[in-house]
Amino acid sequence: MIASLLPRNLRRTLAGQLLALAIALALGAVVILMIDENPLRVFATLMRGAFGDSEKIAGTLLQTTPILICGVAACIGLRGGMFNVGIEGQLFLGGFAAAWVGFSFALPPVLHVLVAVAAAVAAGAAWVSVPAYFRVRFGANEVVSTILANYVAVLLTSYFTIFLFKRPGGWSETPPILPSAYLPELFSFSRLNIGLLIGLALAVATALFFRFTTTGYAVTMVGSAPKFAEYGGINVRRAGFGVLLASGAVGGLAGGVETLGVHHRFMEGFAPGFGFDGLIAALLANGSPIGTIFTALFFGALRAGSLLLEVDTTASREIITVIQALIILAVSADLLLRRKGDRTGGRRWKF
Amino acid sequence: MDIAVKLQGITKRFDAFTANDRIDLSVRRGEIHAIIGENGAGKTTLMNVLFGLLQPDEGTISVNGKPLVVTSPAVAIAEGLGMVHQHFKLVPSLTVADNIFLGMEIRKRGLIDRKAQIEQARTLSRKFGLNVDPAERVAGLSVGIEQRIEILKVLARNARIIILDEPTAVLTPQESRDLFATLRSFVEDGMTVIFISHHLEEVMAVSDTITVLRDGRVVATRGKSELSKRELVRMMVGRDVSFDRRPRSPGSGRAVLSVSDLWARDDRRLPALKAVNLSVSAGEIVGIAGVAGNGQTELAEVLSGLRPASHGSALLHGKELLEHSPAEIRARGLAHVPGDRLARGVDGNATLSANMLMGRQRKQPYSRRGLIDWRAVDRETKALMQRFDIRARGPRDLASSLSGGNIQKVVLAREFTAGGDFLLIDQPTRGVDIGAQEAIHSEIMRQRADDKAILLISTQLDELAALADRILVMFEGRIMGEIDGAAMDEESIGLMMAGIDPVAAAEV
Repeated sequence: MIASLLPRNLRRTLAGQLLALAIALALGAVVILMIDENPLRVFATLMRGAFGDSEKIAGTLLQTTPILICGVAACIGLRGGMFNVGIEGQLFLGGFAAAWVGFSFALPPVLHVLVAVAAAVAAGAAWVSVPAYFRVRFGANEVVSTILANYVAVLLTSYFTIFLFKRPGGWSETPPILPSAYLPELFSFSRLNIGLLIGLALAVATALFFRFTTTGYAVTMVGSAPKFAEYGGINVRRAGFGVLLASGAVGGLAGGVETLGVHHRFMEGFAPGFGFDGLIAALLANGSPIGTIFTALFFGALRAGSLLLEVDTTASREIITVIQALIILAVSADLLLRRKGDRTGGRRWKF
Repeated sequence: MDIAVKLQGITKRFDAFTANDRIDLSVRRGEIHAIIGENGAGKTTLMNVLFGLLQPDEGTISVNGKPLVVTSPAVAIAEGLGMVHQHFKLVPSLTVADNIFLGMEIRKRGLIDRKAQIEQARTLSRKFGLNVDPAERVAGLSVGIEQRIEILKVLARNARIIILDEPTAVLTPQESRDLFATLRSFVEDGMTVIFISHHLEEVMAVSDTITVLRDGRVVATRGKSELSKRELVRMMVGRDVSFDRRPRSPGSGRAVLSVSDLWARDDRRLPALKAVNLSVSAGEIVGIAGVAGNGQTELAEVLSGLRPASHGSALLHGKELLEHSPAEIRARGLAHVPGDRLARGVDGNATLSANMLMGRQRKQPYSRRGLIDWRAVDRETKALMQRFDIRARGPRDLASSLSGGNIQKVVLAREFTAGGDFLLIDQPTRGVDIGAQEAIHSEIMRQRADDKAILLISTQLDELAALADRILVMFEGRIMGEIDGAAMDEESIGLMMAGIDPVAAAEV
């Protein structure tokens, strides 16, 4: 059953991606040479920073968690033919909503977590509902409206944090959430928490949903052949709205997991770029939730590894962003070439 | 005898599949040589070999008596060959002249000399009677004009031997006639035309010599006068195929669909259906004839709930179906074979099973409590593949890997087994092989015998003559008149298709 969740041409996909990765690393090496560092040393440091010991591995997984959940959110959208670029904003609002429940109410332990997570999910869904409505009612391009909604979300949560719920003291952050709302941690030596397991379960559940449920089938058809789906009697608008709502809800969940599991409060700019990294992870996995587990892990490792890079070498953390961009370029070029070769045309992804 | 093109022993293999098997072909200078065969017979492969787009595994090519290794199209063009592909390759945002001279721009001081290009394009189009305005943008021109531009592109490169791949597939009958007149004038000018087709009528109408391919081999090369249509079909398909009128017995006559005063608009918001009245009874095939683009597509879309009507009513089993969703209309008994099967009829990127599942995904045994039983779907798909003779390796093949005829059979299989008693069938055999056409016609007649009500939209008159009980002719969104299918008279249908009322025409 699990095998049927993987892409058909797995081997070709992997071979292409690995080649693309090698090219990207070679280009990255050139950049590193230009700043007078030894590429091998930089890459070794990166690897050590990401997987050097159990603490470092936990650190990598900690970074992977929000990217994975955001990636699943993006996968849901992509499968239904919707490009939700607003995951970043849904993540911020979800994070804030969870924190608010966490510090404003005193509830029994398990219930507190559940209510806070539910608030995060609802906030994410609510935030995407406006672009989603415009999309299905007036045909407004969801890429534009969700990108714009990101700015509003980030600034709105900043406003909440600075002016309405600021913790007494210097930082622009909310009061800490009550310990009853903490997500349980997995190990004593890391803040790694059950959010990772939530993400993994979500990825598998999403893959199963699309493969084995009638609703998943309908959504997939709307995404890959909207005119065919309409002809076959599927309500294309309702499916599109539902897909965006679900995608936003999962984006909100990512934010909730991040505040309840890692920061235990909401801070301005608490999760920079996780939403976008998740989107890219999903695109590199070609919209497959199972594939997103691996691409998210890869991005998580890059982020975690770059921390050590700054300590141990003269290369700055920004160099990682450069390498990451090169990898994305190389891998997406491979994907595009392949899709062009397929000739049958691709999904309705609008770049 | 002056031979323009000679192919000897051409063999081209794709992995284990042999697309061309030791093909010999000689084309005389100054003739129209048709290459005819079913889809997959190897026609296009052979021409791509000649034009240098593919390299043969064996065999030799000589052009104008000179042996040639055609390593690329550039070599072929240098020898005076030109090819017009089935799918046009024009840049819509550029003008006609810019397209003609694309890649060989006329330059003045390093810049493109647009004036000279337009002038030359005009001279060229006048010389060959291909009427186009060279200063116009390609976007928005009709396919007939686009094809003329493609031909002008070839002529501008000084081609004397012109290859056309399925040139009439996208043309209206009128445009086809214009094209044939142009081709005639080419050969009178001493040029040579090689022309690929699977359309019998046009091959018989225009060519001098006919080569028939089947399964990658040459069946025969004959002068047109030595061949009858029947012989040609037998050579193409390998057996006798009949397109005579199908025998039939009367149906129950129970009224199923009744449309009255139906109006609708097209995508440009212009009226596409004007006061359409029609009815279809059980056990009856009502044909809609007409040149493509006269409202037939819109009619099908309105009846299937994919396009809103602006006025009128359409009763299915006595109940209004306008304003209802496609799902509701399907639930009430509509089965729909769409005209645009690649966009509407299937998802090419999905498996055959996923395509068969559409519309029945919530029914047992395909799913239970919202969970799809893919094994049951595969099993049903396999059964349908057998019953409808769909050639594929298995239910997990992608729809896009099938030929046009087999894709159409997938659509028919799904729609004819969905349980509907009103079949809306739009262009059932467009682009489908002759052998498969016959099978599709038989299936439609079987549905008629099952007392289904069938509305059959077709641009092919011989198809309507074979199948329809009554034929309605559409022109500019109106029903021009009705003709008994058994007594079909091409003359009066032709007049109605052109918008002329035959009764009025007779009086004048």
